[in-house]
Amino acid sequence: MPIDAANPVPPVFPRHVGMDQVPAHVPPELIRQSGLTVGPDFLAGPHDFMAAMHEKQPPIYYDVSPMGNMWHLIKHEDALFGLRHPEVFSNEGATPFPRDPSDYFYFIPIEIDPPEHRKYRNIVDPVFSPQGVLRLEGQIRQRANDLLDAIEAKVEAGEGCEYTEDYGRPLPVSVFLDIMGLPQSMRDEFVEWAVQLLHSNSREAMGEAMQKITVYLKSAIAEKKANPDDGVVSRIAHAAPDGVPLSDKEIFGFVCFLFIGGLDTVFATMNNIWLYLAQNPEKLEEIHRRPDDIDKIVEELLRRWSVTFSGRVLEKDYEMRGVQMKKGDRVTFVLPACNFDPDVFPNPKEVDFDRPRKTILAFTVGVHSCMGAHLARLEVKIGLQEWLKRIPKFSVKPGTEIEYRPGGVIGPEHLPLVW
Amino acid sequence: MAKVTYVDHTGAAVEVDIEVGENVMRGALYNGIEGITGECGGGLSCATCHCYVDEAWTDAAGGPSSEAEAELLESAAAEVKSTSRLSCQLVVTEALDGLVVHMPEHQF
Repeated sequence: MPIDAANPVPPVFPRHVGMDQVPAHVPPELIRQSGLTVGPDFLAGPHDFMAAMHEKQPPIYYDVSPMGNMWHLIKHEDALFGLRHPEVFSNEGATPFPRDPSDYFYFIPIEIDPPEHRKYRNIVDPVFSPQGVLRLEGQIRQRANDLLDAIEAKVEAGEGCEYTEDYGRPLPVSVFLDIMGLPQSMRDEFVEWAVQLLHSNSREAMGEAMQKITVYLKSAIAEKKANPDDGVVSRIAHAAPDGVPLSDKEIFGFVCFLFIGGLDTVFATMNNIWLYLAQNPEKLEEIHRRPDDIDKIVEELLRRWSVTFSGRVLEKDYEMRGVQMKKGDRVTFVLPACNFDPDVFPNPKEVDFDRPRKTILAFTVGVHSCMGAHLARLEVKIGLQEWLKRIPKFSVKPGTEIEYRPGGVIGPEHLPLVW
Repeated sequence: MAKVTYVDHTGAAVEVDIEVGENVMRGALYNGIEGITGECGGGLSCATCHCYVDEAWTDAAGGPSSEAEAELLESAAAEVKSTSRLSCQLVVTEALDGLVVHMPEHQF
């Protein structure tokens, strides 16, 4: 059912958790406790785990997990289909961030299905289009070089480089603040809030982080309403599609969603890629040798190291591959697993910059395709180019144990590098 | 501004004004034309903005603008013809004022 974005109400879909809450229509032979995002095997090597799902699991199975029970779909073909049929696989209620039920809002546009969805995307698409993000190129290069200055100074002083804190996190946050029109002085606080919201794995801590983010963003919106500028917060605050200004809840839900969507996914992606390059110097060499192929290099790295999932809720009963799913069931498209589908990407774990071009699922597909995809690509590209100009061959600091924490965005927690 | 006409698979045509410099995919999205999906937003990763340039305009519009466009066109859902383009790569210019594009029945 289309939802009224101006009058948000919390969803009523039941949330099932644990083995005693498996609905009766789920065939027992399809029930798994796969451990995706939470189990020790997953945390020991998340991407290897997701690549191996094609050998260990059926294409569609019902996963029972402390994070909630749901169908998992791992085939590339099924993800393309499901994500392109919002009338079956709806986004309403499918976003897991806690919100105050007495002051409920929708994350816009991700929780809004068509046709209302396009109205919101049109507000920001010019900024986030390939041509739009190119306007930020100089500024992103500058931010990257500022961070590299600091890294070189630290390394010279004998402190070493902790990649995630020194580059992987601050770079996308700085860029985000620039694009939103928010002050760079907020950078470290934003990082802290995002980490608490997305990595604490406690609904209480998530709620606290959400509270702090809410207070800040509401004041930022009020400020932009009074003093318009060309940043995205102001653009949203003053938007009036078809002459109708957005309501306060729409503005807040939109800005808040960009905060959540735009930070952690890029850090995790960069952290994964740099870890891989630290461990695979021959690929680093290859990237150095092929500067003109940077776009396809980035695309293949995004396929191999994608970091997140797409959650949906069944809008009606639906059967796929002989599996009967019911209205209200939750579904997760395991996007990184889909990017390892051997039917589409033969020898899927191999990083091969010359693969034939196929739709990758790093940014999902369908109407809810990531609006920040072009920005993310540009950040990864510039992040790599500027790093490669200044930092020699690097490796993981000896003795480091690479750790992953449970959560919906996958990347190493810490990555000390040496060169 | 330039005029672009979008013709759907049933033959129904809609003419819209698009700013010079904007691409034909976005022109469709901004004007609510349904035959173009454009889900990746112009990133050359989805092939859901496939169109056929009208025979009268193929010389002016030209063929695929890059190897990437030509490669990705191969994964378009509808039949690929010699006039096929990804409309996100087809930028509206003064010379294309009056352009006519035909849209396939399905984008995926």
